[in-house]
Amino acid sequence: MPKRKLDPLPSAAFQILLSLAAEDLHGYGIMRQVAEQTGGRMRLGPGTLYSSIQSLLEGKFIEEVDVRGDAKLGHERRRYYRLTAAGRKLARSEADRLAGWLRVARAKKILRGDYV
Amino acid sequence: MSEKIYALLLRLYPSHFRVSYGEAALQLFRDRARDEKGFFPTVRLWLDLLADLAISVPREYRHVPQALLAASASRRLGGAPSFFVLEDESPRPGAFFFGGALTLLAVAGFSIGINHAGSYAGKVAIWSGEPASRAANSSPGVATSSPFESRWRAMLERLGICQPRAWQMKPADADRAMNSAAGAAMKPDTAQRRLVIDGAIANVKAHYVDRDVAQKVAEALRAHEKNGDDDAATDGTAFADLLTRQMREVSHDMHLMMVYSQAKIPDRQPEPAPEELARYRTAMEQGNCTFKKVEILPHNIGYLKLNSFPDPSVCQSTATAAMASLNRADAVIFDLRDNTGGYPQMVVLIASYLFDHPEYFYNPREETTRRSWTASPVPGNKLADKPVYVLTSSSTFSGAEQFSYDLKMLKRATLVGETARGGAHAGVFHRIDDHFGVGIPETKAINPFSTADWAGVGVEPDGKVKAADALKAAQKLAENNLRKK
Repeated sequence: MPKRKLDPLPSAAFQILLSLAAEDLHGYGIMRQVAEQTGGRMRLGPGTLYSSIQSLLEGKFIEEVDVRGDAKLGHERRRYYRLTAAGRKLARSEADRLAGWLRVARAKKILRGDYV
Repeated sequence: MSEKIYALLLRLYPSHFRVSYGEAALQLFRDRARDEKGFFPTVRLWLDLLADLAISVPREYRHVPQALLAASASRRLGGAPSFFVLEDESPRPGAFFFGGALTLLAVAGFSIGINHAGSYAGKVAIWSGEPASRAANSSPGVATSSPFESRWRAMLERLGICQPRAWQMKPADADRAMNSAAGAAMKPDTAQRRLVIDGAIANVKAHYVDRDVAQKVAEALRAHEKNGDDDAATDGTAFADLLTRQMREVSHDMHLMMVYSQAKIPDRQPEPAPEELARYRTAMEQGNCTFKKVEILPHNIGYLKLNSFPDPSVCQSTATAAMASLNRADAVIFDLRDNTGGYPQMVVLIASYLFDHPEYFYNPREETTRRSWTASPVPGNKLADKPVYVLTSSSTFSGAEQFSYDLKMLKRATLVGETARGGAHAGVFHRIDDHFGVGIPETKAINPFSTADWAGVGVEPDGKVKAADALKAAQKLAENNLRKK
């Protein structure tokens, strides 16, 4: 059986990395942050979310920081995740890659205007 | 409630995922359910969850947990292979139970499958095999005709309903059908009769060879039903006989008939199993494909005793070899006294040696096709102009009668012996319900010789002698014939 691959980086994993860029979040927090930063286009289901988290953890791109309650969400204890240095690097290289495609698209006049 | 449903769905994930993230996933579900209230958000939530399941469950199963990857076989203690414990917990008792139950089920399913594999039913068209009366005292040796003929089939044969597409039952069912056919005691009520009549009408209209007659049969059945003529039927058999009479009154077709079986009629015909084919093949090989005797009698008369017309796909080489060894004979005697039929293709194959040009070989059970013509001339064959004698008895049946009848009608052979048994036509059996079926002739082959064939009356020999004396008589005829030349 093949090991789960993060190469190429699935967009779910990329969004999770991005969501953790500013602050440590628990699973539901990540889901909401991803929904927010994608304009509601990507709502991560539990299966996709946690399997992505699992691969990112295995690749040491994120890490579990602590288990604590969320003041806004009652007293259930949650696992929080934090972006590691490797994770930040991975997210940056992915963003660079996308930016590269964007330049190509712009050069081919696919994008109208200059708003991106 | 919905949380319970999701908890159940989570069980679809592999255990390593459930152990690590099951609780977290459930919590995420609780969070979303709490935040997204109302009809549309709830629908959206469930759509999300189902899409998520569809995508991530297969992915989880492809994923190998790191623990497994870490446990490589190269790690050894002192060079000896060793095993590592990956799971701390032993499996749940429930897992053992399910595993055991599944194993039992698989084993049971396998053995049931073996026992109930359908009987070999032949490929295209099996001429009737053993008539029931012969089954008991059939001649010695292997396979008088087809070793897989069931008694059920024999019963249909006796009733005049045997299908060109061989139609069979498991032997156990056949036994029950045979035993119960006599002691039918059920009195069909009006509703049941209606169902059977409806079924018969539908089948006759759909399958009967002549549409106008089919319409007349349908009207007759309806009229009798309306007049209350069917009330006289006291049981299934009587009712079936009554319907048969009603159908024949207007169609004058003796092959249109209703059948009642107290035992359940299986709703589909089983496929021939490869092992049945293998068994047939072995039986044929051991019995020299029922080519019982191939010899040259005094005065260079070739003699072939053939007890069936076996499947050419198994027996073609045997047939070719037999005909080749008779090639230099001055006359040929075909002994079909114990021949109860078989495959029409073999009938035509053997007949091919007796002509120097393709000859139409009439077969009342099949539509006229290219295969209805003999493959004459056969290269290297010298028998095309030699006198031919066919020995028949009252047991000669079906395919063997076709061989005799066609050669007689083509004036290619002299038939010596007794009037043959008379098995020609057959209807195709159509099941109506568990107990009733209707036999319907579906094909009408062109008979170039006569309006009537040998159905019911048998093939008349040219020289009528007792079957036991037929060989001597034919030898004498052949010798006289050869002396004249």
